[in-house]
Amino acid sequence: MTLFTNIIDIISEHGIAFLKASWMTISITAISLLFAMIIGFIFSSFKISSNKILNRIADLYIGIIRGTPLIVQIMFLYYGIANFVTLSSFTAGALALGIHTGAYIAEIIRGAVQSIDRGQLEAARSLGMPKSLAMRRIIFPQAYKRAIPPLGNQFIISLKDSSLVAYISVTDLYNTALTVQGENFMPFETYFVVGLYYLIIVLIFTFITNKVEKKLDVSKPKEALPA
Amino acid sequence: MIEIRQLSKSFGSLQVLKNIDLTIKQQEVVVLIGSSGSGKSTLLRCLNFLETANGGEIIIDSELINSDKTNLNKVREKVGMVFQHFNLFPHKTVLENIIEAPIYVKREKKEHAILKAQKLLQKVGLRDKANFYPEQLSGGQKQRVAIARALAMEPQVMLFDEPTSALDPELVGEVLQVMKELAREGMTMVIVTHEMGFAKEVADRVIMLADGYIIEENHPNELFSNPQHERTQRFLNQVL
Repeated sequence: MTLFTNIIDIISEHGIAFLKASWMTISITAISLLFAMIIGFIFSSFKISSNKILNRIADLYIGIIRGTPLIVQIMFLYYGIANFVTLSSFTAGALALGIHTGAYIAEIIRGAVQSIDRGQLEAARSLGMPKSLAMRRIIFPQAYKRAIPPLGNQFIISLKDSSLVAYISVTDLYNTALTVQGENFMPFETYFVVGLYYLIIVLIFTFITNKVEKKLDVSKPKEALPA
Repeated sequence: MIEIRQLSKSFGSLQVLKNIDLTIKQQEVVVLIGSSGSGKSTLLRCLNFLETANGGEIIIDSELINSDKTNLNKVREKVGMVFQHFNLFPHKTVLENIIEAPIYVKREKKEHAILKAQKLLQKVGLRDKANFYPEQLSGGQKQRVAIARALAMEPQVMLFDEPTSALDPELVGEVLQVMKELAREGMTMVIVTHEMGFAKEVADRVIMLADGYIIEENHPNELFSNPQHERTQRFLNQVL
């Protein structure tokens, strides 16, 4: 029973600190995701574009980012370029996380767009729609609904990956666990508690994503109205 | 109306169209036949520039189209296309499918576009389906909506790429009926189809393609009853 009482002790003693740290984890993830979405949109359109140079740029970006570990990217932005630009640990962390996730989001969006039947674009073009209009009016409204499940998945991965910013001393959930554990020498109980915090955040987020997904479900048409 | 000169098209090393010459007059109904791989669908798609020809000229409405300078979107407004698999926009209702291009491409007023769409739906017998989603319609109904959608742009030519091939047999008739009506009204039409009975009844001219060449063309009565080319005879024996 000591395990159980230890856990209760940790929560009652450090619960507030963990809550604050949760907020840090959530905010650094949210800011990085906002950034990642912008990057994702830009690079996915580069990849979809018929311009070979833009294709190459996107391939290069995605190749480099996916080919190197996130922790290396975080360290690089915080320590690596410190001689040229000094970023706060929060900025460096959010930036690294955003750049990293952006590459994956670019691929998710590209996949969703390319999963739309070719006939859709052909039909739109055959009606005289320029490509940009056809993409905006016909392809994207169908694609973004398909992108939501994999995006939700990617957001969860990012939330958990944000724990790596502890290594550049952002006081997020994981960093707080490291500190607490350093004081109480109870790794089992401390990591159990911090795991619980992550789990709860992820579960709340999953719940929200599922709601959004249901609301946007294209496969179920709205009730037909009388003409 | 449409003049094709020496049109050729290759996919990689495979040449699907070889120096095609073809003139289609105003109000003419031309049916393209031939076995699969003969190039008939590709020829149709070249007329709408969904495929870019490798050589030759296409003149639509006395305007040479193959030059890079022509605005393909403007040309496509004049040339309506109906696809084998309908390609309706699944996220839009029947009405929204039809008014989309008139509003966003032709900049028509919404009320005007809706009025026109309702008339077109009446014409294809689907007035009561305006607010349905494509998924709620049968194949034949979908194809009739697709025809109405193309007509909403007030095209000068309509291209049909095997419009009944994806339909259950009992639904073919309703689509052909709409097409016959269009032909009767004097629409210029180019149709790829395997419906020989329809071709016989409606076409002014039937064109037989094989291996990327036009091997025979004639009035349907003549071509069906007295095919000259050996390959046409064989093809007709197989499908009739």
